[in-house]
Formats: sequence, C-alpha cells, structure tokens
Amino acid sequence: MSDTYIIQIKDLTKIFGNGVEIRALDGVNLNIERGEFLAIVGPSGSGKSTLLNQIGILDTPTSGTILLDGVDVTKMSDKQRSITRNRQLGFIFQYHHLLPDFNALENAMMPLLISGVKSSRAREVASLMLHEVGLGDRMEHRPNQLSGGQNQRVAIARALVNNPSIVIGDEPTGNLDTKSSESIYELLRKLNREHKQTFILVTHDERMAAKTDRIIRLVDGRIAANSHNSV
Amino acid sequence: MYELFIAIRHLTSRRRQTLFSILAVGLAVTGLMWSQAVMVGFTDEMYSKTVDRMAHVTVEPKEGEDYIHLYRKLTEEITRIDGVVGVSPVIAGAATFRFKDKNKNVVMQGINVEAQDSVLFINEDIVEGSFRDLEITPNSVVVGDALAEKLGVKIEDTIDASFPEANPAALKVVGIYNSGTPLDETIAITSLPTAQDFLDVSNVVTTILVRGDDRERAQAISEEIDAMGYPASGWKETNPEILQTLKVEGTSNYISMALIVIIASFGIVSTLFMAVMEKTKEIGMLMAMGVPRRSIMMIFVLESGILGLLGAVFGVILGAALAMQMGTYEYGTEVMAGITSIPFVVRIQDAVIIVLFTFLLNLIGGIYPASQASKLKPVEAIGRE
Repeated sequence: MSDTYIIQIKDLTKIFGNGVEIRALDGVNLNIERGEFLAIVGPSGSGKSTLLNQIGILDTPTSGTILLDGVDVTKMSDKQRSITRNRQLGFIFQYHHLLPDFNALENAMMPLLISGVKSSRAREVASLMLHEVGLGDRMEHRPNQLSGGQNQRVAIARALVNNPSIVIGDEPTGNLDTKSSESIYELLRKLNREHKQTFILVTHDERMAAKTDRIIRLVDGRIAANSHNSV
Repeated sequence: MYELFIAIRHLTSRRRQTLFSILAVGLAVTGLMWSQAVMVGFTDEMYSKTVDRMAHVTVEPKEGEDYIHLYRKLTEEITRIDGVVGVSPVIAGAATFRFKDKNKNVVMQGINVEAQDSVLFINEDIVEGSFRDLEITPNSVVVGDALAEKLGVKIEDTIDASFPEANPAALKVVGIYNSGTPLDETIAITSLPTAQDFLDVSNVVTTILVRGDDRERAQAISEEIDAMGYPASGWKETNPEILQTLKVEGTSNYISMALIVIIASFGIVSTLFMAVMEKTKEIGMLMAMGVPRRSIMMIFVLESGILGLLGAVFGVILGAALAMQMGTYEYGTEVMAGITSIPFVVRIQDAVIIVLFTFLLNLIGGIYPASQASKLKPVEAIGRE
C-alpha cells in the first residue's frame, strides 16, 4: 500500500491553545498518491496551512500519525526531521523567503550544500534548475534585484533542486499578479509531469485549484470534500 | 561547511555593523596589548633594578652561632651547585668612623673583591678610585658617596675606625662608589682580612652571598645549601615585597583590561541578538530546508567568533605597533625602587594569549544569542501573513 501512497495521514489532530482550545485539525484522514498534483482549499482558519506544516514536518501534531514513504514522521528525532526535510521535501511559500544576502544561484544551491554536496557540483545542479525555471540569465542577481515572480521562480528552483519526492506550496501564487500566477502554475504543473514529484498546494484561488488532479476541501479542521477533477 | 559560508556572508552583508564591532573589540584589545607591554616592561625593569642587583641567595650561620666557620670549604661546595655563577663570603660588623670632627656609625663589610663582583657587580658602581686597591693597600676602605659626603672624606684621606671590643684601625680611602640605594650612606667596604682584623676574628664570615644564572633558580639553590646544614634564603624570602608589588600591579592591570575587552565583546553579543531578530524568517527557512538546530547555532557562534578574532588580531597589531613606536616611557624622576623609565616590551606569547582569550570570549558570548536562534520553531519563525 505504501507503494501507491507516498503520504498516509491517520486521525491527525492539532490543538492550539493557551486557555482557549482551538482544534486546527480534527481527526484528518488522507492518503496521497505518488506523483499526485493536489490542492487543499478552504476558508481562512480552516486548517489548510496547519495541515501543510504537519506534512512538511515543520510542526508536530497533538495526536495521530503521518507516514511519509511508510515512515512515521511524528516519531522522528529533531535531527531526523531536519534530514527528511532536506532530502524528501521541498517548500514554496507565499513570500519567497529567499536568503537576502545570497544571489539566485546561491539560494538555489543552499539545500544541496546543506545535504553535504560539494560546492562545485551544487553550483552545476542549481544552475540547471534555474535554467529550467527560466532564470538562467538572472543567476547572479540578489532577491532585491528581482521581481516577485522571478523570486518565486528562484524559490521553486530551490524547492526542487534536491529532487524531493514531495513539494509543498503554501499559496505559492498568492502574492503575484494574475499573469505571473498563471505562469508559475504552468511551471509547477510542468515540473510535476517531468519529475513525477508529488505536489501539494494550499490555495485560495479556485480557478487554480480546479486545474489540479484533486481538491481537498477543509472546513473547521475536517475534510469536508475530497473530489477528483477530470482534467 | 555551509555554516561558515552563511556566517561570512551575513557579516559581509551588514558591513557597517561588522566594521564597528571589529573596531570596538580591536580598540579594547589595543589597550590590553599596550598595557601588557607596559606591565612586562615594568616587571623587567623592576627585576633589573632590584633582584638583578642583589644576591639571589643569602647563607647565614648555623642556628645559635654568630659566624660561618670553615667558610672556604662551604664556598667551594656552593660553587659546585648546578647553576651557581658567583659565591662571595662576607663578614659584616658595626663600626664607628671618625674623620676630623665628624662621626658616623656604619656597617663595615669585608669582602673578596673578585668574588663580590661576581655576585653584585660592584665594580660597575665605582665612581672614583677602585675596589681592586682594597687588596693591594692594607687597611683600606671604599665608601659610598653619601657616606663620603657626610664625613667629608676624599680619596687618600684616612678614617679612624673603632668600636667597643674591636681593634681600632686607621683606614685609607681608596674608592668611592654609588649604588643608587640608601645603603650608600651606611656601608663601608674593606677587604676580608682587614674586616676580620678589625672585628678580632679569623677564618670566619657572617654571610655568604650567592648568584645563580637565573633568578628563578634561587629557590632550588637555597634548598641545596639548606641541605648542607646552613640556613639559606632566596630573594623571594628576603624581599617578599618585590613579588608582592608585581603581583598587585599585574592583577589590577589584568582585571581592568580584561573588563574592557569583555565590555567590547558584549557589543558583539548585542549586535548578534539584533541580527537573530532580524533574521528570524531566514532562520525558519533554513530550518525548513533541513538545517539542523546545531548548525543554526554554529552559524551565529561563528559570526561572533570571527568578529572577535578579527578584532583581536587588529587590536594586537595596533597595540604592539603603538608600544614599539613609543619604545620607552620616561618618568623624568624616580617612581619607585630606582625606576625612572619603563620600556614597552612586546612579546609574541602575550599577543597569542590575548588573541586566544578574545576569540574564546566571543565564541562563548555568541552562544546565548545563537542558542536563541536555534530554539526558534520553524513554523513560527517563517510566520504567515
């Protein structure tokens, strides 16, 4: 079973609260197939980002389990979580969160350097990746010298450079104009097809969600709808 | 080593803060290096004006005895001790000197000129006449310049020496010396036989003075002489105030200087706190990319350490350059123990110790802000809008 499903979520619950208890996730069960391109939608406060942070092992659940490739990440040590994030996961946030002191190439190299790849090799791979996202001619530019859409492309190159099995996008086009959003979406879709990686995107944009393989609709921390799109 | 790559980039990106941090530590270290050069110079000067001019070890008669008997044999034995370069048997006794209508009580010291010179370099102090004449002219004396002035004597004058129970003698002045100490007013030096005749004794001395090849050897030498049955004391025992003075001066100097460096290092630590706050989102993103907490910590500790190291190297070079440029500080008058000037002495080992101290201090200082950075939770650090 874990061969088809790269992510298996069972009874996942996350409770926030100092005094007032907020159930951000309330018994979520979800299986995601390898290579799926899937959208998580829902109103503000429905738990979309919380779910994404759990899948990205950026946060720990209150209860329940998450299996990534058959391994329960909720039982991992801090160090194992870091290694898993580096090797298996790629992150794209609404704001690019590039390191401001490093140029595009260096930013894209960073996950490789962190995993111990030699600098010269990392440079090669990152440079190919930047060409793939269409920024081959902007590699020496720092984030403050690039447009929002360009920075987001660098962030995408960075997320994919380590060839992760899962790419997580939290409103990856939320901060861009329609035209840029469109081209970023096309880029993600292209990469998904070419690299066979699993893409999980949180989005407000129903038009973009409609173009994915499957839409998970969250309401009050529960899955209210789980529908496949016919593309 | 991506941690170092990130740390260096952080430092070069906030160039002004980096420069001021290095400057602050650097100037504090300059002060430390400079004052260390003064301290080493002062210590050297203090030793050369005091310990180097006194006997390293003083041997006294056995307990209950007034004299050291058979001193020639003992002198020979002491000469054979490892590290001994000079041994001088001395007999000392009180005398009243009279010249014309003037009287003065003095301490008469009978010496062997060559032996005494090997321990105390007395020939360097002579201003008129010579010590050598003591052994050529019977019943002769060399007096300090202050004593000569008090008595009003000159070379070739004859002083009447007397004391209860002593054999009165007429002593011809053959030399005048100046050692620069108050002893120049009270000590009169004669040959060993002259003093022995005056004090009516033979073949005995009251002390044996010893010099070693290194002043730090005094303790070992005095222990060996002790073992021969004669009480001996090193200069540290006979003049404890010298070490005391150096210790007090040294300690207060170190404390005040180290404090300045610590304060400057606090500047770096607070700059680092600001950097950690500024870079919260970056730190969160690094964690998301798989940078473990240890490495986050290492990045900021490295930043602090690099600033400390650069500041220390800069400060040590500037401090050493200043000290060497100034060369010697002249007081113009005597400040203490015959010291009128202090040379600046720059030693490599001081530079190395200061650099290491400052570097370690900043590494340790960086730990707190760095650990704050490493404790951030990735989700909260990245935040959301």
